[in-house]
Amino acid sequence: MRNHIIQIAAFAARKIVGAIVTLWFLATVVFFLGRLTPGDEARAAAGASATPEQVEAIRRRLGLTGSLMEQYLAYLGRLAHGDLGVSSSSQGPVAGAIFAVLPHTAELVVTSMLIIVTVAIPLAVWSAVRASGAGDTLRRLVVIIAAGMPTFWAAILLQSLVAGQWRILPISGIATVGIQVPPVTGLRTIDSVLAGSPIAFWDAVDHLILPAVVLAIPFSGQLFRIVRAELLRVLAREHIEVVRATGVSGRHVIWDHAFPQIVNPVLLILGVDFAGMFGSAVLVESVFGRDGFGSFMTNAMAQKDTAAVLGGVLVIGIIVVVTSIVIDTIQIIRDPRVRAKQIGGAA
Amino acid sequence: MSTLTGPSRVPSSAPDTRTVWVRYLRPRPRRSSLLDIVTISVAAVLVLAAVFGPLIAPDIDRSSITEALQAPSFAHLFGTDQQGRDIFWRVVVGARYTLTSAVIIVVGYALLGVLIATLATTGPRWTNEMLTRFIDLGIAFPSLVFALGVAAALGPSLPTACIAMVVTGWPMTARLLQGIMKETLALPFVEAATVLGASPLRLMAHHLLPNSLPPLWIKWTGDIGNTALVLGALSFIGAGAQPPLPEWGAMVAASQEVAMTAWWTILFPGLAIVVTTTTFGLLGDMLHARMDPSRSRTRRRHGE
Amino acid sequence: MSELLEVRDLCISVVANDGARTLLVDTVSFSIDAGERVALVGESGSGKSLTARALLGLDRQMELDGSIRFKGTELVGMPERELRKIRGSGIGMVFQDPLSALNPLMTIGDQVTAPLRAAGVSRHAAWERARRTLEELGVGDAESRMHAYPHQFSGGMRQRVVIAIALISEPELLVADEPTTALDVRVQAQVLRLLAEIADARGLAVLFITHDVGVVGELARRVEVMYAGTTVERGSVEAFFRSPAHPYTRGLLSAVPRLDDDSRLLSMAGAPPAPASRPSGCVFSPRCPYATERCRDDRPALHLTAARAEVACHYSPVEAEVPA
Repeated sequence: MRNHIIQIAAFAARKIVGAIVTLWFLATVVFFLGRLTPGDEARAAAGASATPEQVEAIRRRLGLTGSLMEQYLAYLGRLAHGDLGVSSSSQGPVAGAIFAVLPHTAELVVTSMLIIVTVAIPLAVWSAVRASGAGDTLRRLVVIIAAGMPTFWAAILLQSLVAGQWRILPISGIATVGIQVPPVTGLRTIDSVLAGSPIAFWDAVDHLILPAVVLAIPFSGQLFRIVRAELLRVLAREHIEVVRATGVSGRHVIWDHAFPQIVNPVLLILGVDFAGMFGSAVLVESVFGRDGFGSFMTNAMAQKDTAAVLGGVLVIGIIVVVTSIVIDTIQIIRDPRVRAKQIGGAA
Repeated sequence: MSTLTGPSRVPSSAPDTRTVWVRYLRPRPRRSSLLDIVTISVAAVLVLAAVFGPLIAPDIDRSSITEALQAPSFAHLFGTDQQGRDIFWRVVVGARYTLTSAVIIVVGYALLGVLIATLATTGPRWTNEMLTRFIDLGIAFPSLVFALGVAAALGPSLPTACIAMVVTGWPMTARLLQGIMKETLALPFVEAATVLGASPLRLMAHHLLPNSLPPLWIKWTGDIGNTALVLGALSFIGAGAQPPLPEWGAMVAASQEVAMTAWWTILFPGLAIVVTTTTFGLLGDMLHARMDPSRSRTRRRHGE
Repeated sequence: MSELLEVRDLCISVVANDGARTLLVDTVSFSIDAGERVALVGESGSGKSLTARALLGLDRQMELDGSIRFKGTELVGMPERELRKIRGSGIGMVFQDPLSALNPLMTIGDQVTAPLRAAGVSRHAAWERARRTLEELGVGDAESRMHAYPHQFSGGMRQRVVIAIALISEPELLVADEPTTALDVRVQAQVLRLLAEIADARGLAVLFITHDVGVVGELARRVEVMYAGTTVERGSVEAFFRSPAHPYTRGLLSAVPRLDDDSRLLSMAGAPPAPASRPSGCVFSPRCPYATERCRDDRPALHLTAARAEVACHYSPVEAEVPA
């Protein structure tokens, strides 16, 4: 038992160290990217109206003095303290600005993931079980087109159609102006529930639907393809036939015996998609006028606020790394073979 | 074991490396479906537009406010934008920017990916470890965000976007190639070659690479389409091609506010992206079907 | 007649995309009585596995013609829903490769109880039955073993699990498809003995599919020999070993090393014909050393021999010695 705990602890330690190393790699890349920017970072952070003394003070505070190595170490030190630099457009801390708007994007991404899981996966399973030749070409085509549709374009089209012409859903924004909800978590849906206001809740949901669907489309296409292919492979395996030979019904065969085998690759993809969606959210948020990480990045881009953009890159890095650890942990819990490999010893 | 019996599955023999290039590049006889023909035709049209478009197009930058926002007509097949510019010709000319960039990007990261994968596989242990970690990071990290970072650092423009996408594209190639090469290395014929005195370089050029690359050709073909997609996205958020370049994504961005009434301003550029991505995706599929003899559409069990 | 299974004129064909039909199994007939043990012998491509799988309707894309009657019920043409009732509780199947036959992600217990649970049996009752079945099969300490995963077991143990899965719903006919091929020799003997014991204890009828002549001797009472999709000989095990009538069977047996016989091992030249290019006469004629014009033109039907076996050959029983 004690051995077991030590093994788990060792695994956790390995994962965390790995995560830190990866983040360090990323930070280094970002550091050099930052060095490439033409112009004076300190001046940009201080603002146009700052005096030379103020600029110098900022330069020292940001650790921009000294040799490259000294700057690098100072940079790493600041990162360790959660200081992502100063925004040149707002003169405020980048970290704070990002974390203020991150929950909105998180809400969008989670909703999108829910859509994918409840729509794309069952559809793919159904398609694999059918495996008919007739709809085959059509299916292939639809999936390829879905995967190849530019998110921003689909966003604008759907917005014009569903919100503009048909007026079923709101055109933009996170909520209708006038509906107030005390921000507890930053996730409007949760906050509405906490505030006990169904009106606010449904209003938030209404504003979420279109962006979440648009965000989900390309990822759905890709996931559909993979789930279908993997499921077909699993269904061809001998032990599935063994179960069929015992008289178990098709539904049981698929969901109890076949589907669990593809959960691993599916989880891996979902993990990557989760982080990827934060990236694509950039496009959706700008079209739908939603406040969030995405619009933060596009605004920063437009205002040439390099520090802010690079800070955002680092935040995404953290999300990627954390997601990866979560997925790894889930796999350990689920799959005895992975357990044996990663932790060692008896499952 | 009697001679009449034996396993029904015969182990596959090692590939004949001398003819492997020819073998994989020669298409297998297969009836071309209607979809295949359409795909190739559309791809041809795209390439033609890219090559000849700018040569035969009238001045696409001439703005004429009197002709602004006209719906599609015989005079203007795709209509005009806010500045009265003909959208059809802008889309056609834009093909060159998009396709050329996409091809350059894919070639760029393909080379880089092959190089790094080769280094990782044949180099010392520590380079493998380090490179693998870079590769892992590169794959998991959303390319759009990283491209934004690069664009912010270097200043947004089409070339900057291209550089950014090469940087975000090589990890996937490297990872795939690494996996394939690891498998190939374990095959007996590689061991045989080593025993016969083949140097690592010869090993790589004659044995490893030719056998490992075929799946990647398929991926790279489809990638051209995807790259066009991301390029469009980057231009849309202002990190890529800047106006007045008729890049499709930039065109959509520029007409965003009038999209609801003047739908043609964004429909056609976007459609161009969809068509490009779909076409190259289907091309990749076609390549797959022709190159991989073991892939069968129907599952049949012959046998005992 | 207490015939448990009666197969009459069974034909199995596969239809290609373009409509071309290839006959894989050609007019095979045999029957199995309750508690009887029959071996279906043949090499790869003979159609023996296809025939066995057809009993359970496992290859849905194959076309079946003819009749398969299990306890009087016609299985050919039966809808999947009905077939499922027969599978497992009427006819059980033991698969060849215990490694791939087991789900690596599920515990042994979950896999053995799966058919029962799917039929609505409570978890407790199902696990109890599974435990007893495993113990009957010689799996010691079954209770704790059931919580383990397949990769933690040896080949012989895994095969016992596969057999348990086949037996758990208490079928009356057990079809064993090459049950020992994937095992080492030592374990093969164990498993064969186990199958014999179980069959005796439960009064099971067994259909062994095998290319291994050793299995035949160990377990079966009757033998059906298949070649290129048809039955070429059938009879008792004694007749099979002592006086094989068909040239193919003779060839099979002379290629097997025996402890009591020092004569040279002979191998047959050639290979079985591909399904699409089977001769219209006797299927064995291309390889048969005694083949005549008549053999090539005229397919022989099964007829009775002196040893009360049946053989499909124009000239059997062959009196002449097999040339050295």
